[in-house]
Amino acid sequence: MESDNDVALDIIITNVVCVFRTRCHLNLRKIALEGTNVIYKRDVGKVLMKLRKPRITASIWSSGKVICTGATSEEEAKLGARRLARSLQKLGFKVKFTDFKVVNVLAVCTMPFEIRLPEFTKSNRPLASYEPELHPAASYRIKNLKATLQVFSTGSITVTAPSVQFVATAVEQIYPLVFESRKTKLSFTE
Amino acid sequence: MSPRVCKNCGGTDIDIDQARGDAVCTSCGSVLEDNIIVSEVQFVENSGGGSSAVGQFVSSESSGKAPSLGAGFHNSLGKESRAQTLQNGKRQIHHLGNQLQLNQHCLDTAFNFFKMAVSKHLTRGRKMTHVIAACLYLVCRTEGTPHMLLDLSDLLQVNVYVLGKTFLLLARELCINAPAIDPCLYIPRFAHMLEFGDKNHEVSMTALRLLQRMKRDWMHTGRRPSGLCGAALLVAARMHDFRRTVKEIIRVVKVCESTLRKRLNEFEDTPTSQLTVEQFMKVDLEEECDPPSFTAGLRKIKIQQIEQELTKKIQDVEDEIASYQDEIETELENSRPKLKGMYASLLKDDSLDDSSSLTSGIHGESEAEDEELTVASNHLSKDLYNKMQQKNPESVDGQCQPASKTPSLTSLLGPLPTAASLGLTESIKECIEDKKESKENGENGELDLNGIDDSEIERYLLNESEIKIKTELWMKENADYLKEQKEKEERIAKEKELGIYKEHKPKKSSKKREPIRASTAGEAIEKMLEQKKISSKINYDVLRDLNKGGGTPNHEQDGIIHSGSAKKSATRRRSTNNNRDISTPVSNMGKRLQPLISSQPTKKIAAEQVPGSQATPVESSKTVLVESGPVVYNEEEAVEEEDEEEEESCVSALQLIGGNDYGYEMEEDEGY
Repeated sequence: MESDNDVALDIIITNVVCVFRTRCHLNLRKIALEGTNVIYKRDVGKVLMKLRKPRITASIWSSGKVICTGATSEEEAKLGARRLARSLQKLGFKVKFTDFKVVNVLAVCTMPFEIRLPEFTKSNRPLASYEPELHPAASYRIKNLKATLQVFSTGSITVTAPSVQFVATAVEQIYPLVFESRKTKLSFTE
Repeated sequence: MSPRVCKNCGGTDIDIDQARGDAVCTSCGSVLEDNIIVSEVQFVENSGGGSSAVGQFVSSESSGKAPSLGAGFHNSLGKESRAQTLQNGKRQIHHLGNQLQLNQHCLDTAFNFFKMAVSKHLTRGRKMTHVIAACLYLVCRTEGTPHMLLDLSDLLQVNVYVLGKTFLLLARELCINAPAIDPCLYIPRFAHMLEFGDKNHEVSMTALRLLQRMKRDWMHTGRRPSGLCGAALLVAARMHDFRRTVKEIIRVVKVCESTLRKRLNEFEDTPTSQLTVEQFMKVDLEEECDPPSFTAGLRKIKIQQIEQELTKKIQDVEDEIASYQDEIETELENSRPKLKGMYASLLKDDSLDDSSSLTSGIHGESEAEDEELTVASNHLSKDLYNKMQQKNPESVDGQCQPASKTPSLTSLLGPLPTAASLGLTESIKECIEDKKESKENGENGELDLNGIDDSEIERYLLNESEIKIKTELWMKENADYLKEQKEKEERIAKEKELGIYKEHKPKKSSKKREPIRASTAGEAIEKMLEQKKISSKINYDVLRDLNKGGGTPNHEQDGIIHSGSAKKSATRRRSTNNNRDISTPVSNMGKRLQPLISSQPTKKIAAEQVPGSQATPVESSKTVLVESGPVVYNEEEAVEEEDEEEEESCVSALQLIGGNDYGYEMEEDEGY
């Protein structure tokens, strides 16, 4: 495959979303009153707690489910989640750290060439869709990886997938397709 | 379907009588079938003398429900839901399509799409209008008509992105590949709207060439086609000596002014813009450009690189200066006479400090800040040294001053900030530890405390006094909510006692609307009507002036106000009777209108038509005196009323006759 011979592509992970359960009922009012960096959204029924060290924001529900976003790697996400559980423990709730799962990973990757989007869309018909009136990028879905890629004409690609491994696989899969529809400079044919 | 073998005797000779509907075995005489389903057509005579067939048309995909003529008379013969949906859809498609001026073929294709969508259950959970709009837009795309999604959303007053989502889903489900939008399609339409007269064709051709040039120059990928069209048309118009301002173009093309300007700037960057008009017509430049966002990105990278180089150079220069200064200083020290007491010791301390800081700066921690600080401190100290050294040989009096200066310098710069003093050691250690931490045992649910610094977490939680303060604040802020909660609990407790406590499921409140905030009554009326989506026949401009009441000198407005609709005239009358001042409270207006504009407009119209018709002669006499205009409006309004009446009568006529509907359906079926 060409991608192996060429320069290695940098895939930068920008956001990791994970969930875990504390298996105990949480009193949101108590958390809101005694935590330092908390926002209590009463209309929705959750508390937002922001941690500084791994810079993450967590949404905490009274059922004990917690969603953690903003981490830049899977390990960081786990650490942040554990930190959060620890601080909840300190507040007096009997928390357990169960069902930790990374739900979504968002990564950005730049190709060293530009991409012709209409051509790319035509050759990958049902999987790719491009609607310039709505969004400047063409979106491409890989069903078995459950990944969605947004391909921009400048060559940068945004990938969202359930795990980092899938992200890498998705980029590998899309590289040859995008390479076909790349823009070669100073071409005399249009 | 004739039974071949008799069950009793096995004989094959079976007599089937169509009239009686029997199947009898001739050998043994046993009746095999009774009430055979007859496939004969019977005719009945109508009142007019003609004859029509007996029976109903049942579609293959219909459910077994037999429509009962009698009770379910009203809703289109009590047909089943599917046929009703299709009929409703067809009507809406025609209504929208006529507004867009689509031809019959397109409308039929759209209806086909709609039928496909209905059979795939795509209309479930979606507003019918959205699905209809998506079907129409799909047709526009496949046929290549110059209709934008924006037009459709304009007509329906729906967000473009919502429509776009529905459209994409539809295209995907129906496996229809809509060809990509070509901005060249829109040029004739916009050119026509800009009214170039005779030169329309020429301007269009020029604009087309410009667009093709833009495509080659990679300006069109990822951009709204309408923006590009606008820019191309603007330039083409100017080239042919037509003056079209940016504002006019914007109104036609429906993009923002800044977008248009940006496109023009991008085009300016391309080499084509340097050509003159004649040159452009003849020559087509060979080279292509990169997309503008790409060049912008490149520029940024270049700037960053330049900045980095500059900073490096500055660093080098500074280091050089520092080294020169060191040399000068040592030279001077050697040649300088020895100074007395306090000053000398201070000097020595300073030099010691500086040397240590220098070494630490060079070898030591990875923080660049430290280095910068040391360099800065060096410079400051060097400057002061130089000054002091200059002053010393000059004047002995100045000894006191430098002496007082140096202590402040040492106190300022002496203890240079290290990681320890900044309080970062802990966190740095933690960061290093985190990276080395091992995998945890997440299975048993126990929290692995490895790498979690308790003391840091303690900082996240407030201490006693802070908790108290926050609790107070929170209680004050949410006092009313807490009261509500208390009352609710009390109520529940009471009901429990009485034993009539019912577990109320959180009922989904019927479309909770936020209170309308408007500065004038007119605005409030507009907004309320938008929310309720009453009727497309209401003239909103008129409503806006409704509040101006009888106090205005503008009689024309009076007439226009009156021409709104029957309901409005009634309220108008009431409002004029009650209070003629302009300061009618907004809520009152809204309340008065709301009960009138209920969800059953037909009934209300019927009710209001009577007073409305009474009102019309009364007010028409008033208004006829003033202007001729209002009379026209009156007619319109009367026509509207008639229309509504006609519609109602139409429905009933259909029901009565019944045959018309069949006739209609027959045509459709024959088409299949």
